[in-house]
Amino acid sequence: MSEMTNTFSNQKPVNVGFGILIVLLYIFLMAPLVMIIGASFTNGMMIEFPPQGFSWRWYIEFFERKDLVDGLLMSLRIGAITAVVTMTVAMMAAMAGQVISGKLSGWFQLGMTLPLLVPELLTAVGLLFFLYKIQMAKTVMGLQMGHILMSFPYAYVSIAAAIRQVPASLEEASASLGATGWQTFRLVILPLVMPGLAMGGIFSFINSFDLYTISLLLKPLGGNTLPLALFDFLTYEFKPTAAAAATLSILLSIGGVALVQKLVGLQRAF
Amino acid sequence: MSLRNPKLLLAIPAVALIFVFMILPITNMIEMSFRTPGHSEPFGDDYTTMHYDRILSDGYYWGVLGRSLLTAGAVTLLCLIVSYPIAWHMSKAKGLKAVFLYACIASPLMTGVLVRNFGWMIAAALNGPLNETLLALGMIERPLRLLFTQGLVILALVHVFVPFMVLPINNALRNISPTLIEASSSMGATRREVFRDIILPLSFPGIYPGMILVYVLAVAAYVTPALLGGQMVSYMPTLIIGELTGTFQWPFGSALAIVLSVSTILVVGLFTALTSRLMERSKA
Repeated sequence: MSEMTNTFSNQKPVNVGFGILIVLLYIFLMAPLVMIIGASFTNGMMIEFPPQGFSWRWYIEFFERKDLVDGLLMSLRIGAITAVVTMTVAMMAAMAGQVISGKLSGWFQLGMTLPLLVPELLTAVGLLFFLYKIQMAKTVMGLQMGHILMSFPYAYVSIAAAIRQVPASLEEASASLGATGWQTFRLVILPLVMPGLAMGGIFSFINSFDLYTISLLLKPLGGNTLPLALFDFLTYEFKPTAAAAATLSILLSIGGVALVQKLVGLQRAF
Repeated sequence: MSLRNPKLLLAIPAVALIFVFMILPITNMIEMSFRTPGHSEPFGDDYTTMHYDRILSDGYYWGVLGRSLLTAGAVTLLCLIVSYPIAWHMSKAKGLKAVFLYACIASPLMTGVLVRNFGWMIAAALNGPLNETLLALGMIERPLRLLFTQGLVILALVHVFVPFMVLPINNALRNISPTLIEASSSMGATRREVFRDIILPLSFPGIYPGMILVYVLAVAAYVTPALLGGQMVSYMPTLIIGELTGTFQWPFGSALAIVLSVSTILVVGLFTALTSRLMERSKA
């Protein structure tokens, strides 16, 4: 397994015990996801695990429920806009961050990741008041701004890490060969940071898709995101349709994980 | 740093985003907490300290605050206990196995909190897997009502925050040079001594930020207590959101949020002071 365990190979019982512990901990991590996916295929009327039989009926029911499908579409739309905006703004900020040096650089990083470090609840409450003051309360635009703010750090961290890998000498070489700043960006920097940029967009999109607290407080009139619609559904109906909706959301995140692995490798991403 | 570098201008949209939509609004919340209650509007025109007086003089709010702070503390400690072995195991893995383990951490992390909590609702059903397991192990004689209990809230919160703890500890462990461990064990250190004197101190740079991040986020977690906590027990975040969306008492809700934030900062400060003293002592 490793250098450590080889060095102490005379202590086998400890390793077996540790192995069991690790397996249990991973079961703990994956259990909620597995139970949701399982429960979504039940043929019975109740949300239960293990499921009764197998059927697609709750997926069909999900797509027939206007409130849930509207929530899904709204979440997808807000997530897509969030991804595009945060990728652009974060790309610019990461390029600026490169020319900041010394102590200020640390403060800049901290500032850029602030929405991740301050509890969502506080940001949400503050934004609720602020949007009220500028007369954007209960609008889709206001909710969109909240999502952009909350997802920005994810885009920034990914893109800043990618841009740090680009050697400064490449930029200098490009400039000395007569390329303009824009040409250097488009032909030299952009292709090199593309995987990191795409990863930032994926993280940003998925984070927006999952946000709950901020959406609850900034909820526009007559509009629900999928998590909001799902919460209401769980509170009032609690049918396997919810498991089908949640499974779609899990598939999205697993897809995201797979894409990130393909783009930059999970080990470098986390 | 040269302020004349035009590249710096590229930071303007990001700085504006965070300043205008986050720093300004949160500062605004402090002002809001001193406003008088409104009648037709969610807040009044004058200033008062009545909301703080009300919170600090009412044992109910102290109780809820204490519950929130203690629950987050329990969640943080349990997270550490669960995360350390995972991080240790992960830090040793290479190749495909490492990819698989990272995926096991990343998939829950990238799934929404609401969805994951819903998974625990299924697990905690009266005839669900949790009860079945406890029955099979002989730990209980008849199924327990697990839903809407504090224990389930803690369990679900631990699940939410474990990845936040695993990743920094894993990174710290990966930075420990294997030669350091080999050297000390070849010099006769026992497995336990190597762990206590080398690995544990060197993983502290991962443990410390992990614990603070989890604590700060757990104190203010709203979804989990709202969905799994039921109506009987209140936590500060559910109380705050109730004031803001249910009764529209914005100044009072703000005061609650400020009290929660200040208490959290105090706890984190105390923790930092204690651990830095502990670190110094272990160095000496």
